[in-house]
Amino acid sequence: MAARNAGTARPGGPNRTCQFKLVLLGESAVGKSSLVLRFVKGQFHEYQESTIGAAFLTQTVCLDDATIKFEIWDTAGQERYHSLAPMYYRGAQAAIVVYDITNQESFQKAKNWVKELQRQASPNIVMALAGNKADVANKRTVEYEEANAYAEDNALLFMETSAKTSMNVNDIFMAIAKKLPIGPAQGEPTGTVDMNQPQQQQKGSCCK
Amino acid sequence: MSDKHGEEDKKAKMHLKANDLLCVNGCGFYGTPQWENRCSKCWRAHQNEMKKCQDFAKNRSLLSFDQFQERRKSTTESKSRGIKNLFKTSPIPEGGTSSPTSTSPASTPTRHSRRRELSPDSLEARQQFTDFLVANLSTGMAQEIARSVKNAVNKISEMRMSSDDMSELVMSYYQYLGERIGGHSLFDSPDCKVKVEDVMDQVEKYISTFCYSIFFCANHEEEVADMSLQDRIRSLHWVTAGFLETKMVFKKQTVRDKIDEAISELIEINAKRSAFEKLDCLTKSCKAIFEALKESEASTSADEFLPTLIYVLFRGNPPLIQSNVKFISRFAIPARLMSGEAAYFFTNLSCALEFARNMNHESLQMEKSEFEAYTSGHLAPPLSVINSACNQAIYVLEGTIETITNVAKKAGSLAKNLTNMHGKSDDDLEKMLAVIKETVDFYPTDEYMNMKQSIFAEEKETADILVSLSRQSSESGRGTLTDTQPSTPQPDTSLESPLIAEIQAINLTSSGNQEHVEEA
Repeated sequence: MAARNAGTARPGGPNRTCQFKLVLLGESAVGKSSLVLRFVKGQFHEYQESTIGAAFLTQTVCLDDATIKFEIWDTAGQERYHSLAPMYYRGAQAAIVVYDITNQESFQKAKNWVKELQRQASPNIVMALAGNKADVANKRTVEYEEANAYAEDNALLFMETSAKTSMNVNDIFMAIAKKLPIGPAQGEPTGTVDMNQPQQQQKGSCCK
Repeated sequence: MSDKHGEEDKKAKMHLKANDLLCVNGCGFYGTPQWENRCSKCWRAHQNEMKKCQDFAKNRSLLSFDQFQERRKSTTESKSRGIKNLFKTSPIPEGGTSSPTSTSPASTPTRHSRRRELSPDSLEARQQFTDFLVANLSTGMAQEIARSVKNAVNKISEMRMSSDDMSELVMSYYQYLGERIGGHSLFDSPDCKVKVEDVMDQVEKYISTFCYSIFFCANHEEEVADMSLQDRIRSLHWVTAGFLETKMVFKKQTVRDKIDEAISELIEINAKRSAFEKLDCLTKSCKAIFEALKESEASTSADEFLPTLIYVLFRGNPPLIQSNVKFISRFAIPARLMSGEAAYFFTNLSCALEFARNMNHESLQMEKSEFEAYTSGHLAPPLSVINSACNQAIYVLEGTIETITNVAKKAGSLAKNLTNMHGKSDDDLEKMLAVIKETVDFYPTDEYMNMKQSIFAEEKETADILVSLSRQSSESGRGTLTDTQPSTPQPDTSLESPLIAEIQAINLTSSGNQEHVEEA
């Protein structure tokens, strides 16, 4: 089902382009959009950006055998809009749940998001957990080990990132790209990917 | 509420004040317990209010978005052959050179029998569709697609079924046609300018424009539901940007302009016929919101965008918005709503509507009674609260006053500068004249001297003429005057006096005198 919408892939040609929908979840003000802006535009301050709007952006990354086009859907993090989230992550092939390492509460919220995605999103969605604001590690309230253990338990990709210094920003998107099912053709179930990939990805993802 | 009631009853047994008999609304009339301590007028108003709420609650299930989203999802999966057969015409020949004779005989009479008056929109859509096909595809292919689509339109207009079934049918037709032309070798060749998606865009546009009256808001109940949603949004008019915690800076004219633009584009959705155009309006509206956010120097992330969209929705209260959203999700090509910018904005609009439907005191973090009082209009949001609607108006006023003050200040300084400038230019002129005079006096050129001399000579000549003139005239004047008025005092013999007399004569009397002067 996840691969159904990766449908713009043109079979034939050695380098296929696959489009994937990636949804960003997390409490407001944890830096969801900063993370994406850093990834897409390579800049940190939003008011510098030339494109209209940071809520919807696209970015292409190249892997060895395919080109992945990310379509990044930002979601409103305020509690009052929580119930609307399923509309956003419906049909998404990947999700990044973002929390702020200086804010314990945002980590708890992130856990709730993960739980909700596991329950309600499409079953082979690729999930990543991003502990943002790693540049202010001296104010940290969420320990790296704690989050890492949680991510391992739930088979999530995990990295601590900093949109400000761009630490691990590209890496986390690359890690997701590698984990996405670049199926041979559209419409084919690619459930096997999830079974094989996690172990080998987990190693690569835990860079510090 | 009931607790309060009970308390009042108890109180009434012990001690009854005149005030307790009055209507709870404080209108001054007496209330009755049957009417929850309201007077007849307030009771009726209250009942109307309650009825509206009930209507909305009743229609809520009809407004629900999830149902048909789910249904749409299932339709896009795979379709029964039976439905496909409905649309089946002859297959496309691989070579792309089909002869027009292969038209299924059944379709021609149907088309003629169902000829109806076409609206200008439909005619335009047909023209565009035909132009597109002719310009981009081979003749055989174009004919094939046109025939298939027209056939489908005719079948659709003959059918009477619910919107959801219709949606299923149209979706399966899109899928069927997409697959059929997608398999064609023509699109793989490098000199083909268009993609299958482009053709499908045109097909969608054509079908949705032609069958608009059948597709859109066909169900009376849906229309009623839409109306009650509109009522609901109207009753939430007090929910302003502040309550939604947007970071709009309403002081800025540019921000207000962009918000107005977003609102009018959102309203415009209802004026467009095809899903493609409707989504285009939505995209424009959302872009205007992003620009407004940028002008306010706020982040353009979803944290800011969604509340602003909700605010725009509340402010604009676009007509039949729910039906439009349903129309788009039912009859747009599924891929359009699965990915891309428009899909994102459409999801946001659906979310905003969902929020409007389900909004309650909890979503605004306030007391239930407070929420209800604001909604029913019994209470106005306090001025002091930063969230209030008035603050927004005050911001606007403040902004305007600021602008006016600035303008006035500028005008003042401008006037001052102007006066200074005048004074300075006068001074400068005087100085300059003095300098020129000095310079000329000190260094007189030959030309100047010549000029001076010639002027002097001319002056002298003129004086001489005048003198002789005055003499003549005084002589002749004396001759006439002596006959009539001997008592008149003699004019002075000085040089000036006859001159003046002469000038007066010239001014007053006939041309004979002038000739006289000229002769002289």
